[in-house]
Amino acid sequence: MLANVFTKTTLDRWKPPLIAAVSLAALLFFGMAVYRGIDVSFWDELPEAFRSVFGIPDGADAGSLAYGAIYAGYGMLTMGAVALAGGAVSIAGEEKNGTIGLLLGNPVSRTTMAVSKGAALAAVTAGAFIILWLTAFATPVLLDVETGAMDINALIVMMFVNALFYGFFAFALSGWTGKSALAGGVTAGIMVISFIAVGLLPLVDSLAGLAKFFPWYYFSSNEPVLNGIDWGHFAVLGVGAAVFFTAGVVGVNRRDLRSQSVGTKMIDRLRANPMTHKVAEMLAGSARVSKIWIKTASEHQALLYVIVPLMFLMSVMIGPMFSMLDDTLKSLGEQFPETLLALFGGGDMSTPEGFYQIEMFGMMVPISLFVVTIVIGTAALAGEEKNNTMGLLLANPVRRSTVVLQKTWTMIVYAVIVALASFFGVAGGSLLGNLGMDIGNIAATCALATLLGLAFGGLALALGAATGRTQIASYGAVGVAVVSFIINGFLPLNDSTAAWAKVSPFYYYLSSDPLLTGMDWGHAAILGGLFVILVATAVVLFQRRDLRQNG
Amino acid sequence: MTDNVAIHTQGLTKHYGKVEALVDLNLDIIPGEIFGFLGPNGAGKTTAIRTLMDEIRPTSGSATIIGRDTHTDSVEIRKHIGYIPGDLSMYPNLTGRDTLTYFSNLRGGVDWNFVDALAERLEADLSRKVGDLSTGNRQKVGIIQAFMNKPQVFMMDEPSSGLDPLVQREFQGMMKEAVDDGATVFLSSHTLSEVQRVADRVGIIRTGHLVAVEGVQELRSKAIRRVDLYFDGPADGAVFKPINGVRDAEVRNHHVSLSFDGSMEELLNVATSNYTLVDINTQEADLEEIFLTYYREEA
Repeated sequence: MLANVFTKTTLDRWKPPLIAAVSLAALLFFGMAVYRGIDVSFWDELPEAFRSVFGIPDGADAGSLAYGAIYAGYGMLTMGAVALAGGAVSIAGEEKNGTIGLLLGNPVSRTTMAVSKGAALAAVTAGAFIILWLTAFATPVLLDVETGAMDINALIVMMFVNALFYGFFAFALSGWTGKSALAGGVTAGIMVISFIAVGLLPLVDSLAGLAKFFPWYYFSSNEPVLNGIDWGHFAVLGVGAAVFFTAGVVGVNRRDLRSQSVGTKMIDRLRANPMTHKVAEMLAGSARVSKIWIKTASEHQALLYVIVPLMFLMSVMIGPMFSMLDDTLKSLGEQFPETLLALFGGGDMSTPEGFYQIEMFGMMVPISLFVVTIVIGTAALAGEEKNNTMGLLLANPVRRSTVVLQKTWTMIVYAVIVALASFFGVAGGSLLGNLGMDIGNIAATCALATLLGLAFGGLALALGAATGRTQIASYGAVGVAVVSFIINGFLPLNDSTAAWAKVSPFYYYLSSDPLLTGMDWGHAAILGGLFVILVATAVVLFQRRDLRQNG
Repeated sequence: MTDNVAIHTQGLTKHYGKVEALVDLNLDIIPGEIFGFLGPNGAGKTTAIRTLMDEIRPTSGSATIIGRDTHTDSVEIRKHIGYIPGDLSMYPNLTGRDTLTYFSNLRGGVDWNFVDALAERLEADLSRKVGDLSTGNRQKVGIIQAFMNKPQVFMMDEPSSGLDPLVQREFQGMMKEAVDDGATVFLSSHTLSEVQRVADRVGIIRTGHLVAVEGVQELRSKAIRRVDLYFDGPADGAVFKPINGVRDAEVRNHHVSLSFDGSMEELLNVATSNYTLVDINTQEADLEEIFLTYYREEA
């Protein structure tokens, strides 16, 4: 291992894990404070499988609930995402930046370089978990909450090894392919599917055994906060992480290094072929550079290729699934207290509307919209500045406000496309499952989701306009979204804090039960107004400041 | 007085916190001239151009291009400007032709026959993606986008970066032709030979301060000469330094080399009265020497 490669990589990558850990630590404090003030015995009535996903033991109290929901649930997903993002760019990031040639122009072997970067990934991840570990001990002391026999060390160790598992999976893909987007995307997909599968499969007895094929099972099924470390599960994740780390090192040794070359895509081959030239030109030729918003849309089209079919298929499948699970879900639904369901967007699991609300509209639809709007909002201004292309763009006779508004238009179009995919998916699922859901109410819910997504996309845009920094724009918008989601989920659990949920934009999305009651125009106006204000702020801020120049 | 000037700056100043990147820049550049803006890295050349392009806003002072304020009328001005930024970056996933189409759609009035002629002249391949092009070939696309709408004013920040000598020559020819047609060129560079070849006047900037503005011919006619004196034995530089007009005398054993704009008679008197002069070689200084001399004097 080379100390200076390790040090530089650590210094380059410490911010996201630190921000994530500090945010989660704050949420733990906040969550435990809320749980302390309410009767939490209702958790005992929940289905075993559900509680196991969130690492919530029998006889849970305020402490274990906070650890389970915030650390083992959202926290683990967040830390997994941060680790896999770091793993994805470990090697491929240097190739994308065109710096790997310079680095390896020194007497450094590829193995040394990869090992140093892998070690840095492990180190920054470990640093973040030390913060989580310290907070886990300090919070109950500060709040005077009894944590009993809970094994916090076991929880933190299993979270750490689980994060390394996904981090090094992305590292392996990064090493073998040199493509950071592919490495991050595939790993994130596997992690999310694994999380959902481990949560849903145990609900059906005949499918419960399949959960073992998903790696998340080896983190959550043993309830480490209650039962300590299952060394068999630890070994699965730990050995897996080591194997992926080794695979990444081997992978980068076996292939040609990628240059900054953008490569040839299918559409490029079609443009070059005389037979398909005309059609390809219509799709990817002069048409895509005819206007700023169209070019922006063209740059982000890969988002739609992934998200639109995913949202449509998931939405369609849930209808027939509800029909098949109808009786099981009804009995489960009766066990879920309303206060808890509010955490997942609310809804009665025994009704199709409630099931769709929990399975799709509670998290999946907003997340898919956030991905689209925050990515576009971040790239719109801060991304162009980061790539040093904004100066050239603004050397043309276009106003800065025009650039902001055209790129905002792309964001709106993309959000509507994703919402339409969800709408047609849910409407189709209702039709296939013969659920009889109201089409107008589905449309109203999708419209509110669109406005919610645009509000956070607008925030990313405004932060990018104010600072010209992509990290502030994206992390800022994602951070506010996560905090808003949790505020909307947690504050209503306690009567004294319930009214404060209205500060969260999420409140204006589902609190009116639009799947049952249709459009709440007041809530739509608030979300729409928020979006307009943020875009207007972006216009003003961008017009006033100096453009950044990188490099 | 901005009616008869293409570019006018008055007290143009830009600070980044405590760093004075550009200080009190006063310039008038007339239509139809190529103005060379010389200075080493970090002298403030790019800051000046970015301020004129309204990418960044001056801390104080103002500027006009073709009689219009560079901030309040920036959109109107940009209809008439061809711009090549320093460290040119473009969209890697677009081909050269897509890139030019994108900008031509924003500008309007682009003659594609002219674009094709420029591409042929520079031997630019517009069918390949910008991200797959070498630095020089990417720069060619940048040059074409600056020239393609036949602008009135060119703002160029190190435009020859990465170009091979043949393409540099072609590019210099393009600049001269544009000026012959009435355009104005603001050419920031530290490639002195290029400035010497094409510029009418030169501004020299140092740590944000404009230290001189003179015509290239005037600079060269300042009679600064490179003089090499060869003696039959070791010489002492201290003997020559007091002579009026001697700059940066270097002594290498029997050989004394100096920049000189004083009386040749006095120099020869001192040389022959102290040593036995074996040989003398004298030549007109080039712009590089003059430039370096300015810097040594200011330092």
